[in-house]
Amino acid sequence: MADAASGSTDKSVQVKLVLLGEAAVGKSSVVLRFVSDEFQPNKEPTIGAAFLTQKCRLEDRVLRYEIWDTAGQERFHSLAPMYYRNAQAAVVVYDITKAASLEKAKSWVKELQRQANPNIVIALAGNKLDLVQPSSSSSGNASSESEDEADDATATPGEAPSPGGESDSLRQVPREEAQAYATEAGLLFFETSAKTGEGIVEIFTEIAKKIPIEHILAATRGGGVGRPGAAGGRPGNAQDAAVNLEENANKPKDACNC
Amino acid sequence: MDINAVLSLGIEGEEESYAGKLYLMAPYLAFSSLDKKSVRFTIPLSTIRRVERLNARAGIYALSLALWHGGKIIVQLTSLRPTADLFCALLRDALKIELQRGRMKTVKGFVKTCYSEVLVSDSAPTPSDEKDEAHANEASESSYHGGLGLRFKFPGDPKKLREASKIKLWTTYLKTHGRNLTLLRYPQCTRLVQVGLPNRLRGEMWETLSGSLFLRYSNPGLYEQLLEQNTGRTTTSTEDIEKDLHRSLPEYAGYQSEEGISALRRVLQAYSFKNPELGYCQAMNILAAAILIYMSEEQAFWLLEVLCDRLLPGYYAPSMHGTLLDQRVFESLVQRCLPIIHDHFQAVDVQLSVASLPWFLSLFINSMPMVFAFRIVDCFFCMGPKVLFQVGLAILKINGEKLLQIQDDGGFLNLMRDYFASLGDSAHPHSTDPRARAITRFQELLLVSFREFSVITDDLILSERKRFRNEIITSIETFSKRSAVRNLRSLGRFSKEQAGLVYDALYQAMCVIPPPPAQLPPPSLIQEGLEEKPETRIQLRTFQYFLSEIATWGRDEKIVSNGFQQRVDRDVAEHEFIDRLFFFWDTSCCGALSFQDLVSGLDGVMFNDLMENIEWFFNLHDKNKDGFLTKDEVLTVSESFLFIFRFEVGDAYLGAVSRFMTNAFEYGDALLADGDQHKEVVEGDEPRSPLPLPSNQPYLNLATFRMVVLADEILESFFETDLSASFRLDPVTELELPPSSSGLLGEFWSSIATDSNKKMFNMFTDEIGKTIGKHQVVHRPSIGRYKTLEEPKARESLLTPSMRHSTSKSSLRSTPSSSSLRPSTPSQSLTVKVPSSIATSKEPVSAVGYSPMVQAANAALLSRPAFTIDDSKDEDEDAEDDTEVDDHDDQVMDEVDAFLEAHDSGLTDADKEVAKDLLNAEPVK
Repeated sequence: MADAASGSTDKSVQVKLVLLGEAAVGKSSVVLRFVSDEFQPNKEPTIGAAFLTQKCRLEDRVLRYEIWDTAGQERFHSLAPMYYRNAQAAVVVYDITKAASLEKAKSWVKELQRQANPNIVIALAGNKLDLVQPSSSSSGNASSESEDEADDATATPGEAPSPGGESDSLRQVPREEAQAYATEAGLLFFETSAKTGEGIVEIFTEIAKKIPIEHILAATRGGGVGRPGAAGGRPGNAQDAAVNLEENANKPKDACNC
Repeated sequence: MDINAVLSLGIEGEEESYAGKLYLMAPYLAFSSLDKKSVRFTIPLSTIRRVERLNARAGIYALSLALWHGGKIIVQLTSLRPTADLFCALLRDALKIELQRGRMKTVKGFVKTCYSEVLVSDSAPTPSDEKDEAHANEASESSYHGGLGLRFKFPGDPKKLREASKIKLWTTYLKTHGRNLTLLRYPQCTRLVQVGLPNRLRGEMWETLSGSLFLRYSNPGLYEQLLEQNTGRTTTSTEDIEKDLHRSLPEYAGYQSEEGISALRRVLQAYSFKNPELGYCQAMNILAAAILIYMSEEQAFWLLEVLCDRLLPGYYAPSMHGTLLDQRVFESLVQRCLPIIHDHFQAVDVQLSVASLPWFLSLFINSMPMVFAFRIVDCFFCMGPKVLFQVGLAILKINGEKLLQIQDDGGFLNLMRDYFASLGDSAHPHSTDPRARAITRFQELLLVSFREFSVITDDLILSERKRFRNEIITSIETFSKRSAVRNLRSLGRFSKEQAGLVYDALYQAMCVIPPPPAQLPPPSLIQEGLEEKPETRIQLRTFQYFLSEIATWGRDEKIVSNGFQQRVDRDVAEHEFIDRLFFFWDTSCCGALSFQDLVSGLDGVMFNDLMENIEWFFNLHDKNKDGFLTKDEVLTVSESFLFIFRFEVGDAYLGAVSRFMTNAFEYGDALLADGDQHKEVVEGDEPRSPLPLPSNQPYLNLATFRMVVLADEILESFFETDLSASFRLDPVTELELPPSSSGLLGEFWSSIATDSNKKMFNMFTDEIGKTIGKHQVVHRPSIGRYKTLEEPKARESLLTPSMRHSTSKSSLRSTPSSSSLRPSTPSQSLTVKVPSSIATSKEPVSAVGYSPMVQAANAALLSRPAFTIDDSKDEDEDAEDDTEVDDHDDQVMDEVDAFLEAHDSGLTDADKEVAKDLLNAEPVK
């Protein structure tokens, strides 16, 4: 929200990121968690795509994510190219409690690899981890309820997760399977929970590390390197004004060696 | 029937007379003034209570129509007398029919559901203060339909919206100009709509203006029936709907209660049942939720129908082609009317539709504050889809200066978001003139929309849609093709392009013979998680067509010549062999083939070498997969050969098949005789084991089969290359006659019967290579290997004029035993000629077998639209420099004045004052 104003900040590096995935896997909640660290009950469905921004600090530079959160319904598929064109990063989300959603995610990955920006950094995110971790919430009911708030799309009636005791049986996609696929396809891989926040920031951190920032800078304005501190101006969430990625940046990759 | 007419309102001095056309389209009578917008009405014949011929001066033919509401209209029929007489006769008949159907009696009950009746019958209207509430409570007790707003309040502050004044104005209008079923739309109707409909009347006026009222009127009870019949049914649509129920205008109190949610659920579900092909698309929930605030479920259901079907065609279809098309149209209008902005967007690579797509898809409802969006929706229902384009253009124009600063999609979206959030602010906050300061940005937006973009007419939209339709269709097709190919689990040995060609053939086949709708799996069986549209699968009939696109023997191609022309007729071949192939490829055994099945199936045969092909053919005919052919299956094999070779030239193939039969039975019998009673079934895949056959049914194993096949040179070459080569993906050869020697080229005269194959087989067994027929039609052979053997002269001699025009009815078989048939070269001469003759021949030789495919292809060629390129000069001139809007305070003021004037004409002085107030009224969030 407030971030709209900071578009003019010259020191940050803009990264266009697109979220894709089947309907009701929690794309919007992932973004919402990342951008404002909150849940918003009953958000209106995404028509076309929603647009949000968030700044991240990684070492001595600031990334400004421009996030396109796309509609999940199948018939909006043909509109997706409009949103992922020129994207430098993509997060393809699936629901670990729904095997079919991984298939859809794979087809998204395929499409991105063939149609999108050739250097695009793709992360695969298996969302709703909280549903298979009984420990993370006192009871399964609570878990399903708060997930409901996290992203209404999740709360498909009739599909509501059963109580916590058997929560692990809800998992339909073994972590290993998805991990193997991600490795094979050259994707970053995470299991996340938009509800608990687990794994969310990590996605964006790892993407930030992997993004060829120098490339982007060279392409846009000839190599100016962003400085920290540019991230100051976000009212909204004081403590989270800019997600500080540094603590996660123990082993910086190629992108961050300036 | 339509007739020229002059319409006058039956009340002295109330309205001017308008010339226009009167249309009788039973059961409706409609009128449209010459400019197509000033005056219009559509009334059901059942609301006409009395028709009188007026006794007037000589030469004037006038009718007086008394309507249900007591109003009277006078139409002067200005066409020639006989036309007028005919019109009257037809009108009389149509009215009689309505009377007999008892429709006249239904009117009374129906209009009770309309709020306007309550409004008008309230002879003592509440004083123009805001006593709306009390009024509402008593009114809601009557039986008129209303929306959630009656219980949960309407959005906006009634005082600021000048509800009472609006109601008063409308009451006056409805009293004199009819209402609901009989509403006559005079110019001030449109103007009253433009200042915003009063909340209580809004739902009904939407119904009336959009015409959905008539659907509700003529389909009483259908909505309830639909719901009843489908109780408890779940489909992918209902599941999608369920997900979005709580996300539809969630901030509105009505949708925080079960009452609102369940109403929304019922309306959306009923629509998805009514139109299962469309089902449910996100954004429909927002529309439905919005209109339900103002109308009952049944009203909303029918309005949704009109929206999806007529006002926003194709917007919510599974391909969303309407959305894409209108976005393209909008972009072109921007280019035309606001070239500077368009150029800037091009320069910084900003896509217009990232912002504008949701505007159109949800009628601005989730872009703007609701009170403003509803005012646009008012205009939309009154004036049609062009309003969306006008408002869209105005938004861009007003923000022109800032738009020229943006650098990317994100900036564009942020700017739009800020603008929409500020619509309630003054458009000219620094103006010294208080009147100017009072003008909100929203008012400015409407003014710009309707004043400056009045050039955007319905006709323009229609012609633009036509202009871009093909482009959009192509891009959708390309897109779905790309995804279909990408989503194949296995490409086999095909390249992506080749798989694309398979897709093309499949797509074409599906266009000609669409898969049955039953194809959608029964919704009740759908598992959760089956979000995606079910995989498209084709049935046998479509498969036959598909194969005729791909395989040379899958079609019967006749080059027909008569004295005047030559053309190619193509029929889809039908044969047990094709059925066999269908089930052979149907690996999941569901009686239908998917794209993947086709690709895998073709992959299994198109890249084979000799041995693989023999094995493939063997397996195809080994029904029970036991590794043996039975005697019957051996016969079937030869039938298949004959089918594939049915159009080959010369008797070489017949001879080969005959040798095959002889050898097969010889070897088979010999092995049978030698063999002990091996019960053990040998796998067909183990090639080197010509083991003794079981005594009974299993007869010939793969090895023996291979031996028999290889014993014959022709069959060997068939399996070596010809079989694989008979599958051709190249679409060019599919559609047109290939220019020359591509191996397809032997030609052969024969008669046509599609089941000729069976008869051929019979004939073969009876007497091999006997018959010589005189044929008028050339069948193109599937293999055509032996074309080079023949001499041109032979064919020339066959082409006697008498044969050329004789028809295909000849019962003679095409069995190629005749030594006089040496057709190959003639065929070449034929093929060269044919393409041109196709192009030139428009009248098919009716005598010869009619081929729908060629017809279709020709039709397609002819109907390929010449693009109408609108001369855009006019619009260009109208488009002003869009960056200076803000400087034009004075101008805008003038326009506002004009706007105000426009609204008042035809109303009393007192009402004018009210209207003036209305115009300055501030809509409130």
